[in-house]
Amino acid sequence: MAQPKSRLTRTDWTHIAFLVLPALLFVTFYIYPVISSIGLSLHDWDGFSPRMRFIGITNYTVLAGQPRFLHAVFNNILWVVFMLIVPTGIGLLLAAILDRGIRGEKAFRIIFFLPFTIPAVAVAAIWRWMYEPDNGLVTTVMKVLGLGGFAQNWLGDPSVVNFSLMGAVAWWTTGFAFLVFFAGLRNIPTECIEAARIEGATPWQVFWKVSFPLLWPSTIIVLGMAAIDAMRLFDVVWSMTKGGPAYSSEVLATQMYDLAFGRFDMGRASAVAVYLFIIAGIIIMPYIVYMSRRVQDSEAE
Amino acid sequence: MSSSSIEQRQTILTRTVLIGMAVIFVAPLLVAFLTSFKTPSEITRVLSIPSQLYWENYAIAFQRAGRTFLNSILITVPAVMLSLLIGAIAGYPLAYMRGSSGKVVYFILLTGMLVPFQIVQIPLFFLIQKIGLYDTIPGMWLVHTAYAVPFCTFFMRNFFASVPRSMYEAALIDGCSPNLYFWKLLLPASTSGLAALAIIQSRAIWNDLLFAITLTTSDSARPATVAISGFASSLQVEYGPLMASTVVSIIPVMAAYLLFQKSFVRGLLGGAGK
Repeated sequence: MAQPKSRLTRTDWTHIAFLVLPALLFVTFYIYPVISSIGLSLHDWDGFSPRMRFIGITNYTVLAGQPRFLHAVFNNILWVVFMLIVPTGIGLLLAAILDRGIRGEKAFRIIFFLPFTIPAVAVAAIWRWMYEPDNGLVTTVMKVLGLGGFAQNWLGDPSVVNFSLMGAVAWWTTGFAFLVFFAGLRNIPTECIEAARIEGATPWQVFWKVSFPLLWPSTIIVLGMAAIDAMRLFDVVWSMTKGGPAYSSEVLATQMYDLAFGRFDMGRASAVAVYLFIIAGIIIMPYIVYMSRRVQDSEAE
Repeated sequence: MSSSSIEQRQTILTRTVLIGMAVIFVAPLLVAFLTSFKTPSEITRVLSIPSQLYWENYAIAFQRAGRTFLNSILITVPAVMLSLLIGAIAGYPLAYMRGSSGKVVYFILLTGMLVPFQIVQIPLFFLIQKIGLYDTIPGMWLVHTAYAVPFCTFFMRNFFASVPRSMYEAALIDGCSPNLYFWKLLLPASTSGLAALAIIQSRAIWNDLLFAITLTTSDSARPATVAISGFASSLQVEYGPLMASTVVSIIPVMAAYLLFQKSFVRGLLGGAGK
């Protein structure tokens, strides 16, 4: 409906009216706190005293020279790499196998997706129990298999704890990647796959040359969510180790929470949050740009 | 026929992989469930079956965390409905607006998805205290609704964009206003999308820990996730009651996914397939 006049039509006013409340919430709960956090990060404040002391970028420079902070940054990057590869890879593998039409497909589909539905704190509680060093399931099964010598103090050893946490998170999130890939594979027209088969392609070739490229929309969703989850990661780590032992499993989110609500160092905690925001922005911004582009493409058709 | 024997071997291989993975996926859930029925003396034997149904663990769990489960329900149900509503009213104009202003608004709202909650956490803590909603259930409704805006808008906008536009144009020709069209025609026609989003949101809100530990402190608003997190990370863990409360916290969302699996997958297909 092209309007020759530049005045707003009644439809435009309806649209604006609909957007008022969401925009208000967005400004109050996203824009205001982000700006406020950036301001806080330039101060020294314990959260109680009426006066904040302005200290410029001191919080940032102190953090940049602190092994504890740098270790948390390193852990977050490790988590991003892990989340992009492991749950995504296993999810894709399971979806590809199930898509070939296996008996009991429905049962497998439910089983692989189940862990994703449970709360992070339940994942933490269950895996705290699984990793119990003396009689947890992991150690017990290893003993039964004669691998008892390889059993570790899963959550108590600083060199092992990150991998233990990743095992628990892989168990938790693989189901999401699996289901999105599975739905994506079902969306691929069978003619494409039939045609490739008739041409004499092996199942391996069919998958990598035909199915996988057509899965791109699913892949982009899974990878984007994985990166976002890895940067925001908090619940599982906090509930299982509180970042310990000796800060070895700390990520930026848990460190920030400890600084803010454990030590009441609001300025330093805000600086950690701003660093996290910047790192997340660098990693995730291309994804957001891509998603909003895709909308424009689909509208242009 | 060698080709068929290769095929047979492949089938056996894929079956083994599938069954092995299924065992790994189910075992922790099964162990948690069995542990919740074991007496304190049986608990250390992980692979054993409980000799009786020891309900005492559940009694202890309810005594310690019963109120928090009620809080979880009181927080989740209204917050899910409010977040669907806000996603729908934001998604509608963004799906139908022509020109670049709609795209700019949509892009700004989407950037909310990349904001780590840590950067809003401290100001939010003071904001909620200032407006008197600290440690209250309505405070949690407000916060969950507000932080659902980016994702719910994204989801509903894409869903509305897949509803045939001819329906909209026909309604306008019949003299229906854009406002009335949304409430009387579009929303009722969108139940499958709303159902899928409701499940996603139920999971997000029921499972939330970060907002809950930041904004609640007493049993009058504290949800079950906070209570369980406290049990799980304490030095001496009593696994019987912990597993009992864990099982209770798992059931509602898991049941919802199993019941509404079809509409969830359909909603996801609609979103992912575009």
